[in-house]
Amino acid sequence: MSEPQTPAQAPTIDVQGVSKWFGSVVAVNDVSFQVQPGITGLLGPNGAGKSTILHMITGKASASEGEVTVLGQPTRNNPELYRDIGVMSEYEAVYGFYTGREFVEFTARLHGLGPIATPVDRAIGLAGMEDAQHRKLGTYSRGMRQRMRLASALVHDPQVLVLDEPLNGTDPRQRLDFHDTMTQLAEEGRTILISSHILEEVETLASTILLMVSGKLAAAGDFRAIREKLDEQAYQVRVVTDSPRRMAAALAGTDDIDSVSIGEDGELTVLSRNVTSLQRSIPRLAQDQGIRLKRVEPLDDSLESIFSYVVDR
Amino acid sequence: MGAIFGLSIRQLTGRWRVTLILLLAALPVGLAVIINLAAEGDAAFNEDFTNILLDGLLVAGILPIVTMALATSSFGNELEDKTLGFLTLMPVARWRIVLPKVLASLVISGPLLVVSGVIATLLGFDGEVRPAVAVAVSLGAGVLAYSAIFTWLGLVTTRALPFALVYVLLWEGVTSTFMSGVDYLSVRGYSLAIMSGLDEASFPALEDRVIELPVAIGGAAVVTVVFLLLGVRRLQRMDVP
Repeated sequence: MSEPQTPAQAPTIDVQGVSKWFGSVVAVNDVSFQVQPGITGLLGPNGAGKSTILHMITGKASASEGEVTVLGQPTRNNPELYRDIGVMSEYEAVYGFYTGREFVEFTARLHGLGPIATPVDRAIGLAGMEDAQHRKLGTYSRGMRQRMRLASALVHDPQVLVLDEPLNGTDPRQRLDFHDTMTQLAEEGRTILISSHILEEVETLASTILLMVSGKLAAAGDFRAIREKLDEQAYQVRVVTDSPRRMAAALAGTDDIDSVSIGEDGELTVLSRNVTSLQRSIPRLAQDQGIRLKRVEPLDDSLESIFSYVVDR
Repeated sequence: MGAIFGLSIRQLTGRWRVTLILLLAALPVGLAVIINLAAEGDAAFNEDFTNILLDGLLVAGILPIVTMALATSSFGNELEDKTLGFLTLMPVARWRIVLPKVLASLVISGPLLVVSGVIATLLGFDGEVRPAVAVAVSLGAGVLAYSAIFTWLGLVTTRALPFALVYVLLWEGVTSTFMSGVDYLSVRGYSLAIMSGLDEASFPALEDRVIELPVAIGGAAVVTVVFLLLGVRRLQRMDVP
């Protein structure tokens, strides 16, 4: 995990008062934040404006208002800056006729690297794609494609990495490898900005997070502090059993819940501020009481609703 | 620039596209053979061959269609499959992206069209080299100008192909045929003027209706440069998906 940075350190990425609108639709509304070396997670539900912000940070899109700089320079119409930035966009399209290695070599050539064999080998190694490097990209699984795209973003050894939903389509093993690679790169002093709409994906990776909701920056800072704020909110969980009254009585006797109610259909709605503990205690209680659990499901743990708690706060 | 040129060549040489272009390029040659056999000794042969095959079919039809099929796809396909963003995130000046795209269209369509035009002309003019050279140069100039125009169009709209078709049919086809003066602003007009200017004796049918050779050469050059610059400007200013 990357070390927290001191506030005095010059930001690698500086976003100041940035807005972006498409006609009458405001995609990003007056967002300001700074990103320091280490791993920062950009979180938000789909449509929150994460990709639009990343497009402006990487210079692919212009800001309607405000300023974006990376390493002290504007990114828009500044191709030379890409020598220091590695980008993995959310679109997974690749040139299917290239082999994985050819694709990374192509990127290396566009970066004007000298002898390309060493950096290409290094980048493919970092992405763990040595075995599949000579296969055509068109034959790759989604996860493999993501990893080779990561190799392409790393081939020029950039100081700044901007990765938009890099874990899409990856399996748990690939996620672990990705985690290790990112941690290693962050420890080397790089600045890594990773976007995701899945909270848990970034939870173990980023020490700092930026929460975006409806085009606005809802929260920014230390991940744990924001998570604690989120945990203050009670969540609803639906529990379906063959004996709802006995289950309700058993739950009422624990410290994990705020309230429990039985609906007309016999389903329990449990309100809890400690969902993690509740998830463990429900099966235990059911087993102790000889109750058959049919279904346990969170009613509002989607990222959208979690973020709405933060925004409404 | 070589890397992007190589990429573009691979992108544009899909099987169906190459097959279609080869078929279109073969059309003037086949037609030249038929006309040659059917109209042997006909007093109006030269005029008909020039007006129908060289102008009507080759310069006004196949030249823009083949070039538009390639050049609108240069950026159009990359915009559609979202790979253009990858190129624009490289430390490469925008003109170094646009120029290889135009050159790729030129390198694929140019030789095919020129060879087709040269063979058809050699058949129609009993193997005379001079009119064949004139046709080759005029087609080359047309391919260059159209490549620049259609490459730019592929960056401007995702419906580049229908727009290009409308432009070719209405402006280069109908308007330039029936309105005098449009030839000064028409790639077809430049191509025909270059053809006629390089070998007036072989193409008397064009003599009275084409613009001056220097104007045509200058016009084709200006159009090419202007649309190249517009393409670069567009790539600098657009929000790339």
